[in-house]
Amino acid sequence: MREINRILSLSAPALDRVFLFAMLLALAAILTIAMVVQYGLGEIPCPLCLLQRFAIFGCCFGLIKQLQSGSERGTGISLIFSILLLVISARQTLLDIVPRPGHEYVGSAIFGIHMPVWSIFIALGLLIGFAIRLTFLGGLHSAPAVESYLIRRLTRALAIYVAFICAINFLSVVVQCGMDECHTSGYRLLP
Amino acid sequence: MMAAIFATLLIAFIFDLLGYQRFALRCLFISLALCIVLFLWEIYSPVYGFRMPWLQVEVAPLSAPFAS
Repeated sequence: MREINRILSLSAPALDRVFLFAMLLALAAILTIAMVVQYGLGEIPCPLCLLQRFAIFGCCFGLIKQLQSGSERGTGISLIFSILLLVISARQTLLDIVPRPGHEYVGSAIFGIHMPVWSIFIALGLLIGFAIRLTFLGGLHSAPAVESYLIRRLTRALAIYVAFICAINFLSVVVQCGMDECHTSGYRLLP
Repeated sequence: MMAAIFATLLIAFIFDLLGYQRFALRCLFISLALCIVLFLWEIYSPVYGFRMPWLQVEVAPLSAPFAS
């Protein structure tokens, strides 16, 4: 039993890094899917959808910071943006849950569930993920050198990818909204 | 406004990649503040304010008999 505990305590830092990296990878995948739905299927995001996307980017920023520095500040940033995501998506769900003129779910459903409801699941998943990490993996500790090096390189690559899709989103927002209010009727700067 | 939010977020990511952690955090929190302002502006209605009267709820009588 003592031996098992010793092995667990040795592998916990590495598991912690892998867990955080998996969360970051999942968020990057979600953002990529959102962009595929936007550009591939031609669904223009609503203003609150864009704010939810922003909150997911903020969570990514916190996770990258956590993986790079090792301080718990990154987790704090991610928790702030997870709560922001939950508030925005819950409010949008309550706005559109009763269909009435000018207010219904924007875009098509994925597996029968609309995007703001998926955002609630994502935010809850993030909050539960951080709770599990802090409870079972113990939070702050430095990972062994080899895993740290590998995870650090992978994190760097993923951070560049997230910054890249953030740049694409920024350009997309400028084309959709200009410097004014956003609408789902079309791209303002496209003929 | 939305463009400003994503612009400050992008600047935060770029500063972070370049190693300017403090500036990155400042830009991130500026974008967060702008996001909160825009969110409140988006959900505010001149007619309803922040209320959502289309969500109808009824208060159940606490002392209602269960037997019909």
